Amino acid sequence: MVNRKLVKALKFRYVLLAAVLIILAGGLVLIPKFEKHVGIAPELLLSNAISPERYISTDELADRIINNDPSVLLIDVRDAISYKENTLPNSINIPLENLLNEDFEGYLNQEAYDVILFSNDSFRANQAWIICNRLNYKRLHVLKGGINEWFNTIINPSQPTENMSKTAYDLYSFRKAASMFFGVKYIDQIKKPEPKKVYVAKKVTTTPKVVVPKKKKKKMPIEGGC
Amino acid sequence: MKELEKTKRISIAAVISILVVIIALLTYKRPKHMYAINPQLALEQTISNGSVKLNELNSETIIIDIRNQFEFEKGHIENAINIDASDILIEKNIEVFKALKNDGKKVALYGNNPTEVIAPLMILQQLGYNNIQILSIESSLDQDKLVTTNAEIEKKGENINQFIQASINKVNEILKEKPKPVVKKVPITKKVVPIKKKKKMPIEGGC
Repeated sequence: MVNRKLVKALKFRYVLLAAVLIILAGGLVLIPKFEKHVGIAPELLLSNAISPERYISTDELADRIINNDPSVLLIDVRDAISYKENTLPNSINIPLENLLNEDFEGYLNQEAYDVILFSNDSFRANQAWIICNRLNYKRLHVLKGGINEWFNTIINPSQPTENMSKTAYDLYSFRKAASMFFGVKYIDQIKKPEPKKVYVAKKVTTTPKVVVPKKKKKKMPIEGGC
Repeated sequence: MKELEKTKRISIAAVISILVVIIALLTYKRPKHMYAINPQLALEQTISNGSVKLNELNSETIIIDIRNQFEFEKGHIENAINIDASDILIEKNIEVFKALKNDGKKVALYGNNPTEVIAPLMILQQLGYNNIQILSIESSLDQDKLVTTNAEIEKKGENINQFIQASINKVNEILKEKPKPVVKKVPITKKVVPIKKKKKMPIEGGC
């Protein structure tokens, strides 16, 4: 009797097992939810995004450009019109809406260059940085203050006043030299070469006077021997 | 009888394997916070999500201060709630955001400047809280009072190329204006030449 019942139950054993496996397979339907969950964990993204270590100052960037640092790659995330109007030297334009375009992935998802994102201020560049950081792209930086800060510090640095410290003067002279590197000309820098010409002219007048009498003295004895 | 034993073994093995799968599923730790949108969608939302100005706020909007507690206690916008930017993912605070979203209320975040708000805003947005906006103000503390000014985001500054061109033009103009001093220098060099001649003459005569 027991045996018969067992046999009856065992009749459905394959059906039961198959049913369980199908139900488990149905669990795969839930997985598309995870599809959107790409990138690093939100907690990590938050701590990365709050930390200011991604910022690079305009002075540091200017220094690296002037020293021909080959690892710097500048990316302008503004639209194409603003990019044409004015930008930083040797920069690439990746408008923010095309940031995840496959064409540009090679520029962003790499480890060979220090990519520096910039926009008018650091707002759009920061948004681009957070999206890229979620995708775990490495070596991305944001230019602190963006082009406006670049203009105010490097292209058109403000002169320190008399009561400021020596470091402020040193910084100003660096920035002024940097701005000249990027093409700005200063009136006081033009005046300087002019006085130099005057000095040269004076030297010309004085040196032959000194040299010529010496020659006379040396030549005289030889001539006399003759 | 032997056959029955065989099928028994098969079914036992099958049951065990199913158990393993079920245990694995149960022990799988779901991440605490899940992104609700993929990066592409997040980017689109970020671009389209504008900022709101202080005078555009209505009384329905909840204002959240993302500065730290110390700064908040020194001074804050009236009726603002304080949630430090680094604490937005704490369970208690996520509950607040969830409740606000379910109530259909709009939320405006502010900090010392709009750029500071980007990080918490974008993360909340990517977690699916799309009722949040940036309050575009710059705030600073002055004698235990919060002073706010409207901030312009992505303000277009002066054109660098034009500035450089202008500086070059200015210099060129000045250079054009000063050809006279160069002319004056020429007679000075002329004076030098006759002196040399005079000195050379006596040498030749000595021979």
